[in-house]
Amino acid sequence: MKRLKTYNFVLNKKFFAFTLLVVIFFASLALCLFYRLDASNYEIILKFIRFPVVIRAIVSGATLALAGMFLQAISKNNLADPYLTGLSSGAGLGIVVSMLFFNSSHYSLFGFTGAILTAFLVIFLSGFSKFSITKLILIGLSVNLFVGSIISFFILTNPQKAYPMTLVLSGGFSSPDSSEKFLLLLFLAGIIICGVFTPILNLLRLDERIVFTSVAIRNKYNIIFVLISAFLTSISVYSIGILGFVGIICPLLSKLLFGCDARLLFFGNIISGSALLLLSTFISQNGIFPLQIPLGVVVAIVGVPFFVFFLLKEGRL
Amino acid sequence: MFKIITGNIKTGFRVYNDFSKIFYLPQNPYYPKGISVFDYLSSIFFSDNLKWFLSKDEKDKIEKVLSKVDLLDKEDICVENLSGGEIQKLNIGLGLLSGADLFLLDEPASNMDFINQLKILKMLKELTKKGITSVVVMHDINLALKYGDTFFGITTEHKILHQDGIKFFTSSNLKSIFDMNFEILESNGNIYVQSVD
Repeated sequence: MKRLKTYNFVLNKKFFAFTLLVVIFFASLALCLFYRLDASNYEIILKFIRFPVVIRAIVSGATLALAGMFLQAISKNNLADPYLTGLSSGAGLGIVVSMLFFNSSHYSLFGFTGAILTAFLVIFLSGFSKFSITKLILIGLSVNLFVGSIISFFILTNPQKAYPMTLVLSGGFSSPDSSEKFLLLLFLAGIIICGVFTPILNLLRLDERIVFTSVAIRNKYNIIFVLISAFLTSISVYSIGILGFVGIICPLLSKLLFGCDARLLFFGNIISGSALLLLSTFISQNGIFPLQIPLGVVVAIVGVPFFVFFLLKEGRL
Repeated sequence: MFKIITGNIKTGFRVYNDFSKIFYLPQNPYYPKGISVFDYLSSIFFSDNLKWFLSKDEKDKIEKVLSKVDLLDKEDICVENLSGGEIQKLNIGLGLLSGADLFLLDEPASNMDFINQLKILKMLKELTKKGITSVVVMHDINLALKYGDTFFGITTEHKILHQDGIKFFTSSNLKSIFDMNFEILESNGNIYVQSVD
């Protein structure tokens, strides 16, 4: 009897948190779509302006949160970030190259390619002899610095294009050029891959020194999870560019709210990431109306109070 | 040595063993914060096959192991709220769930009070009667000689001493292992080891 009671309590708390997130998700979805909608040509506005923005917010929020969850789970470190594998600088280099050498406006495609290539380089380098997370982090850090200095070199040697490049690099595309269909296709593929591999995260909750069947299994899955999270982060780069902080805060927030069962966290991360980004998108577009506040700033303003509140309330991570 | 057997360190030697599965438990294993006892044990079933839910059979197995290690009434409690002895019992339960028949335990009775030490060793002793071999690293000589069947010692000259039963504990053996003088006391058929200054 007593056992049943505690179980119900735990379930209720998680259920309540989930409902709250779903409510925030749909409320901000509705606000993003229909707030200040002009009655005369609403179809065109919805189709060409608002739907793409909403899709981008949902896709990038969910992918960043999931990528953060995977990396935090395999490194057993709460500070792991989706851009750990040198992705941000790779994406930046792709963008800079596209602006300088191709005079192209397809920033996101170049950013996506750059991010994927850098991630592969980092994973390839850290997987040479024996794969370990520490090695991955250190190599990711070095590649980040290396590629970052190449970017600064390009910017400094091209003063006439320095301002637009810095603007694009400083986070978020103001007018993304990625196609929504391709984006949704990538997103769907990413989510399905995640769904297949998510239960394995439950195994990674155990200490990696505990050996029971074979040592090789765990190393294999570590690499698979790093690859998945690199893929997810690249999708988010393709969708809105480089956006920090979501990938750290959403996995931690859902860990506080939903405990540490990876199967629950999977849905929790999708919903919390996309809800946070939808809400931030709405505020960034309508906060000071004619102006657009940069998305990264709003994400921090919205996310930090939430996170600190739950951190203080729960007190454990 | 444990790492060589389990394959963590690659050596020029090939290690042959007759055991189907090996379970190795390090000292103070990591566990995530806020995980319940039941969830902790269930982790082991998400190993290689990509499935989302535990089967009824696996849940029953977990309940059975929990009752074996006396933690059935605490299955919803967070692991960090358990005592050191209970966590150690939980980890041994993990080994039972893994289906291994060779347990390699690195000081399973360290960092806990005397009663819990006795309980853990008693449990391991009972497991050996069910066909599970346990290799245990111990620093407490008296506890080791009470619960062990076969003893190995490594001398200061890196030679291996090996003897079945409590005949292993002679003053000369202990002197060559620990480089200290010990005396063997005997009362009521039990023997005790005591250091001599």
